[in-house]
Amino acid sequence: MTNLDDLKTRLKIAKSKLQKKALEKDDKKKGVFLGNAFKLGSELVAAVAVGTIIGFILDNWFDTKPILIIIFFLFGAAAGITNVFRAAKRMQEQED
Amino acid sequence: MAANPMHQFKVHTIGPEIEISGVNLSFTNASLFMTISGVLIIALLLLGTREKKLIPSKAQLLSEMLYNFIAKMISDTAGKKAKPFFPFIFSLFVFILFCNMVGMLPYSFTVTSHIIVTLTFAIFIFIGVTILGFIMHGFKYLKIFVPSGVPLVLLPIISIIEIISYLSRPISLSVRLFANMMAGHTMLKVFGGFVISLGLIGGWLPLTFSVALTGLEILVAFLQAYVFAILTCIYLNDALNLHH
Repeated sequence: MTNLDDLKTRLKIAKSKLQKKALEKDDKKKGVFLGNAFKLGSELVAAVAVGTIIGFILDNWFDTKPILIIIFFLFGAAAGITNVFRAAKRMQEQED
Repeated sequence: MAANPMHQFKVHTIGPEIEISGVNLSFTNASLFMTISGVLIIALLLLGTREKKLIPSKAQLLSEMLYNFIAKMISDTAGKKAKPFFPFIFSLFVFILFCNMVGMLPYSFTVTSHIIVTLTFAIFIFIGVTILGFIMHGFKYLKIFVPSGVPLVLLPIISIIEIISYLSRPISLSVRLFANMMAGHTMLKVFGGFVISLGLIGGWLPLTFSVALTGLEILVAFLQAYVFAILTCIYLNDALNLHH
């Protein structure tokens, strides 16, 4: 009887340890997802910002105030989406 | 509430103000923690490589693991040609990692939570990689702005998009590291403030959150150093092996 009880407690401990490990793994995965989300977001924002800044500078040069900034904002958005697309592709390659 | 969550990012001078021809060169807490990180790295690597035992000590194991980790990362992402850049990537990764980790200690200062630090890293990498590309390929390097198989009508638009995408590299690289570090540390401070203001009765919930967040932050600190290094490798790869 004592042997069985002993086994029971040992099983319990082992099970709780396994659960803890699974939780830790989940936490790690969460961190990776967070990193990926940040990565994609910053790629998009950075390209839009760079495009807008280029448009702003060119506008000041050529004195065509609102036109170039609008055009380059759109170019920046396009570049941002290209960046995000590429980054996502790289992530997929890494996962496989 | 006495604790301002942004107060931890304040740079202040330690010791005398030094100004040389209009440039402020005082020793600040940022320089102090950079120095601490540098000294820690040198100490670890010196300790790890002092005696080469068959059964390694902890320090030796750690430095060997670091070496293997970076060497594998470089050969996986940038190929054999990038081998000469191993020292650069290694120091970059280890320095950012140590700055992030030292910043996780209470009462310390996180150097990488300042955009000027990360942007300096990123711009150095950007300029270096561009120069390297031109050295390796000459004016053919400009081909990365002209993807193959694009119809002639679309070419000007695609080229502009590619150029903007290329120029956005240092911005996204630096903003990512800086934003991650700053957001994480602010969040930790805010939850820490909640513990105090909610007192003995309600303070336990934010306290558990703080503990969980600290774990997550340590993971983020490592992950961001890794991402920074691996993206440097990818940019290096683009410059070394020209193909699109």
